[in-house]
Amino acid sequence: MTENRKNKIICILTALFFAAGFLLCVFLPKPEYLAAERRRAALRPELSLDAVMSGRFMDGFESWSTDTFPMRDQLRTVQALTATRVFLQKDNNGIYDHKGILAAVEYPMDPDSVRHAADRFRYLYDTYLTPETKVYLAVIPDKGCFLAKESGHPAMDYEAFERLMADQTEFATLIPIRDLLSIDDYYRTDTHWRQEKITDVADRLTEYMGGVLTADRADYEVHTPNQAFYGVYYGQAALPVEPENLCYLTDDVIDGYLVYDWQNGKEIPVYDLERAAGRDPYEMFLSGSLSLVTIENKAAEGGRSLVIFRDSFGSSIAPLLARSYERVTLIDIRYIQPDLLGQFVDFSDSDVLFLYSTLVLGHSETLK
Amino acid sequence: MVFSSIVFLFYFLPVMAALYAIAPRKLRNAALLLGSLFFYAWGEPKYVLVMVCQILPCYVLGLLVERYREKRAGQLLCALSVAVSLSFLIYFKYTDFFLENINAVTGLSLPLIRVALPIGISFYTFQMISYTADVYRGEAAQRNLLSLSLYIAMFPQLVAGPIVRYADLSGQLSERTHSWDSAAMGIRRFAAGLAKKILLANQLWALCSAFRASEEKSVLFYWLYAAASMLYIYFDFSGYSDMAIGLGAIFGFRIPENFRYPFISASITEFWRRWHMSLGSWFRDYVYIPLGGSRAGRGRQMRNILAVWMLTGFWHGAAWNFIVWGLLFAVLLVIEKLWLLEQLKRSRVLSRLYVLFFVMASFVIFQAEGMGQALADLAGLFGAGGIPLVSAEALYALRSSAVILTVSAVGATPLPKMAAERIRRGLTGTAKERSRRGFAGTAGSVIAGLAEPAAILVLFLLVTAYLAGGSFQPFLYFRF
Repeated sequence: MTENRKNKIICILTALFFAAGFLLCVFLPKPEYLAAERRRAALRPELSLDAVMSGRFMDGFESWSTDTFPMRDQLRTVQALTATRVFLQKDNNGIYDHKGILAAVEYPMDPDSVRHAADRFRYLYDTYLTPETKVYLAVIPDKGCFLAKESGHPAMDYEAFERLMADQTEFATLIPIRDLLSIDDYYRTDTHWRQEKITDVADRLTEYMGGVLTADRADYEVHTPNQAFYGVYYGQAALPVEPENLCYLTDDVIDGYLVYDWQNGKEIPVYDLERAAGRDPYEMFLSGSLSLVTIENKAAEGGRSLVIFRDSFGSSIAPLLARSYERVTLIDIRYIQPDLLGQFVDFSDSDVLFLYSTLVLGHSETLK
Repeated sequence: MVFSSIVFLFYFLPVMAALYAIAPRKLRNAALLLGSLFFYAWGEPKYVLVMVCQILPCYVLGLLVERYREKRAGQLLCALSVAVSLSFLIYFKYTDFFLENINAVTGLSLPLIRVALPIGISFYTFQMISYTADVYRGEAAQRNLLSLSLYIAMFPQLVAGPIVRYADLSGQLSERTHSWDSAAMGIRRFAAGLAKKILLANQLWALCSAFRASEEKSVLFYWLYAAASMLYIYFDFSGYSDMAIGLGAIFGFRIPENFRYPFISASITEFWRRWHMSLGSWFRDYVYIPLGGSRAGRGRQMRNILAVWMLTGFWHGAAWNFIVWGLLFAVLLVIEKLWLLEQLKRSRVLSRLYVLFFVMASFVIFQAEGMGQALADLAGLFGAGGIPLVSAEALYALRSSAVILTVSAVGATPLPKMAAERIRRGLTGTAKERSRRGFAGTAGSVIAGLAEPAAILVLFLLVTAYLAGGSFQPFLYFRF
């Protein structure tokens, strides 16, 4: 092949590549929601003189054109594979894949963030609780606790993390749960633990808080919604990983719960199967990110009540803990100002559990 | 607008290329200028006016300089034109630096002006000065305002160079040829530059950012940072220059080379003949030689070197670490001229290690946010402050970036080009063999002929994948 012919091929192929890209960018319909990344796409900016002169239009157009680029998900996968399989980078966007399990690099520990979380908890204690209130703390380790060393990624000292948190919240009794967990207790593509694998954790928490175990693990019925579950790490990593199935547990007691969403003023199911087919399937547990939820358990005796300050991990374990309480109140102070809680929650005669993952404690700027 | 963005690659470039291709020959410069102003306005809508305000006096004074260049007035007009061009640069880039230092020395509290730096002002101001100086030295002044504007504002080299001297481009502004061969050469260079920027420089920058964010510093991490920094600056800047040269070729312009494997240099003198060559030659032709160069004795020569390199540092940024960066090179160049250059010829290995060490140290200074951080970073290389030799984060960064660092280190040498050439020769034979044996149609030549277009397409695809994924990092040299 002559040099000139090769040059012609280079010119024509390049022109076709960019012309096709241009036509696809201009004429393909634009997504409003990026399902894999679980977020809305940037909006097309409005064209106005003010927007142009201030540069807002250009910035908005850059974001919009990148978010809505044709075949973005496939291209993100190409990028992720190039980074991890060609350049052998140990993570992509901070997420790594070890034997089909996705996890985030959570290193190093941010002591300031842990202290900030402890300060917020102390504020709640000082505002609403008394020295007589039984207050407990449990720290849920992220997947890196069990995976990072094996996969060659830097790992936090989880024991030191837990100790720092406990030292900063001396008003609470620490309930250790790390020894009960392993990497198999978490979804492979998600941050969260699997409800069917944490009944022992629920038992430990119940026992420490003076409750009576009312169920044998074998009594639970395991259900699986039909939809394939791709967790939050799947979208962030953009790596090709097999989906898995969500599981949830029921029995007669759980079926009898009355769950109320105070944020939206309505009764909600324990397991919302519509959400299991939605954008964030883990939201099927107590309808996900809600600021204030109560579970009434008429089958419980003794009139005990429990308040759980929690993150999303709490949604899946709360139905198991509620067996021993007549009333469980779940509060997520990422979504409600702590000052408002007095209007909705009666803390008297309630035990209190601070149940948080290291993911939230390590990035506690979201706690109000 | 940056070259390494979805907007440039998939909106601006196809439209610009199509407009240019269908425009009648007489209107091509106008199309290119219009596109260039749009390109500039995308990032700095208000500062298009600033650029126009610089171009107009440059144009008028250029014509006057040509008319009076044989007289004393020509010299004054030339000086006036340079002063007008520089005044914009000084106002936008250096005013706050001077005010801060006056405040620091005198204890005054003069208010800072805090204006944003127009993108590329350092580059296009130097092109304006080049134009005026070349006209004063005998080059014909540009009578066509549109052509002069295009010389200054042409989008491939507008915001980060190379600094194209007017004498090199004046002929091409009125008459240039287009061919498949030059367009293909441009595409090759553009693809290579994009890949350098997106696939290597941005990843090296991520390593530098990880170092800065880390509170677990170690000696290993400092060295990793220093090496990554040096390679990052090279791939970022030379990648941009490749793209500029490539785009220039696509539109029929021959933009001069800016880098020639600087890290294989055996002396700092040689390094600066290979690094940012357009800036080096600009300072040589428009500052060093007018100051007397090496013709007025050793003492004057050393003074001239110091002046040029202090200005070179200051051109890069209005901060003391840039001035120190420039002066470091001045000192090294003076030492080499006086003694070291001969010694360096004795060992190919030691001379290269010497260059790599000082260049790396210089870029640690260059990348720092002020002299305090620069000194701390340099001290960190030698374990000052009792930091450990290694840390978990440093080991992770090393393991995670080992391939990128290796590819970058090898890619900064002529080895990949030599290897590609050897493979091509293996498939097709040498040019002489091809013409003797009629190899043009052999399987080897067909494979070689198809492999290169395929490789270019793969590079474009990978770059698009990285951009669509949102890995975006503005060019370093945009701030100059």
